[in-house]
Amino acid sequence: MGLVTRKKVLSIMALCAMVGLLLFPVVVSLPSLAIGADAPDAAKKEDAKAEKGRDVYYKTEGVVAGAPAPKTVDGPRDYPRYNFESRVLLWFANQQHLYYGSFVLAVPLFCMVIEFMGMVTKDKALAKRYDQLAYDFIKISLTAYSLTAVLGGILIFTFLTLYPAFFGYLSSIFRPVMHIYALMFVAESGTLYIYYYGWDKMKEGFLKWIHLSMSVILNVIGTLLMFLANSWVGFMMSPAGVDEQGRYLGNIWHVIHTALWNPLNIHRLLGNMAFGGGVVAAYAAYKFLASKTDEDRAHYDWMGYIAMALGVAFLIPLPFAGYWLMREVYAYRQQMGITLMGGLLAWLFIIQATMIGILFLSTNYYLWQAMGRMRGAEKYQRYIKYLVFILACGYMVFITPHTMVMTPAELKAMGGQQHPVLGNYGVMSAKNGGINVIITTTVLSFVWYMRGNKVSTVSWAKFGNIFMGVFFACAYVNIIWLAILGYYIPANVRVGLSVPQVATTLSCLFFMFALNAVMMKGAKQMGPIEWGKISARSQYALIMLATAFTWMMGLMGYIRSSVRLFWHVNEIMRDNSPWAYTHTVGFAANMISFNVLFFWVSILFVFWLGSLAAKKAPVEVKAAVPGSAPQPAGSH
Amino acid sequence: MGQTIVYGIISLVICVAYFTLVDHYLMDMQGLDYWYLFRK
Repeated sequence: MGLVTRKKVLSIMALCAMVGLLLFPVVVSLPSLAIGADAPDAAKKEDAKAEKGRDVYYKTEGVVAGAPAPKTVDGPRDYPRYNFESRVLLWFANQQHLYYGSFVLAVPLFCMVIEFMGMVTKDKALAKRYDQLAYDFIKISLTAYSLTAVLGGILIFTFLTLYPAFFGYLSSIFRPVMHIYALMFVAESGTLYIYYYGWDKMKEGFLKWIHLSMSVILNVIGTLLMFLANSWVGFMMSPAGVDEQGRYLGNIWHVIHTALWNPLNIHRLLGNMAFGGGVVAAYAAYKFLASKTDEDRAHYDWMGYIAMALGVAFLIPLPFAGYWLMREVYAYRQQMGITLMGGLLAWLFIIQATMIGILFLSTNYYLWQAMGRMRGAEKYQRYIKYLVFILACGYMVFITPHTMVMTPAELKAMGGQQHPVLGNYGVMSAKNGGINVIITTTVLSFVWYMRGNKVSTVSWAKFGNIFMGVFFACAYVNIIWLAILGYYIPANVRVGLSVPQVATTLSCLFFMFALNAVMMKGAKQMGPIEWGKISARSQYALIMLATAFTWMMGLMGYIRSSVRLFWHVNEIMRDNSPWAYTHTVGFAANMISFNVLFFWVSILFVFWLGSLAAKKAPVEVKAAVPGSAPQPAGSH
Repeated sequence: MGQTIVYGIISLVICVAYFTLVDHYLMDMQGLDYWYLFRK
């Protein structure tokens, strides 16, 4: 058997092994299903005797198959503790695990996309660069993967040590899928290692497609893992599959598929991708700033741009996914929605709006700076000030609070809790307008960047340019018009206006990107993109972007968790520990900042470890690193 | 110049029609009336 054929056979075997690993948890869970299927008579007899309960969410009847949720009391049995607030310890362990988990789930998704781009591109030099970039990405995530597993262990021990009653209850509910989760984790690890170590062996032809298939499987496993973890969070917020005493009713799908599961899945998937892109972009920025040669600067500049573009591609739909989640929260329990957005936690949403604004401002700033490295983009420079004005207006409306926290004297001076002018901007109608204006402007900046050094050569270029300008102008007018219309119509009609507003923004994104791509096909290039010739300020913008992502993830996690107030499992299992209260905004902000700082210090350590491995790499491997010189335009 | 104006008007007509349709149908799909303010 020839060497190539043997490699093919081994690759196909590896792929089959991965598919097997993916299906393994399902196969393992079959016997338990089979027991139920083989014994219908016995089940019927049992049914006659067994106590029945009514599902709190699905309202269906089921046979009680579990113990009620424990009624905990403050003491060493239910809440053993160190001489410290247990909730803060758990918060820290959970947040760190989540940061690393998000990162290692997002990066393989990037790898898959970039590896695919490398395979389908016709330019061989560019294909090599994409492949090397994908390899660099997975290399970064590998060390982080080990740390994620360690942090997962720490999290479980923290649960077992500090909240044994609650953890016992939760694991009793999710028992039918607990082992599946563990096995999926094994499958994920196995697949990741084969994917990484098989990179060089499967770098060409058919074997490369097998390698790409492995990344698809890797990401399917990773995403399923995340969905399973989300089901625990969803259950804690909006329990289903149990009766009002918290007794499991035998239907694990009901327990998993709670009211908030799907919105959480989408929101987290997009959030992870945006976060992963931000972290890799920050890594590239750090390497760029530390680079001593033009070759390195060119490579890391390009890497930072690709990571940022991928991150922002998922950031743009993220607010809409968040909106859907909030809508489902309101649909599930109106009171929960009010606590979030109009009550106890409303001020945290103002901070969130500030962070979202910073994310988009940083992205736009980076793109404007990046236009400096291409000849021909100067024509857009004089218009940037108008974009700054539009962004600033949108941002200020977006972060305006409805009411202010004030002293009695200030309250009297202002004539009420609401400012007579600015208070008008503190409602959702205005805020929806604000954020959509910001996102549309970001789309416009991207379009300008993509056509920066090009001149369209299609015969209808003039009409295309005018149409594009008019489309963006009309989109702005429509968004602002809908925001104003919201003030004059009843709340039940107003609530629907956000949908056409979002559709307007997405129309700009999809239609204008498509139109631009068609117009720029075969375009005349004014000059190459001079990778590496970008201001240092742009790289700080990337670091800012990543830090803002991290901070916002910490904030939103806290908000989502706090909305349960004094419940471990909403309306089912009460939190009777001394910490069943909501922290002050200041304390929460400090804690989030500490988590962010710890994550960045630890991930810098991971990057440093990665750089040690790179230094020991053979010379020929390093010499093969692409992107060593400024590359021609067209790679964006 | 004349051509620019013609292109501008054509673009404006297409865009206004498109966004009006988006507003109308997306509100209609939710069972809501986009023209509520003008009817009252």
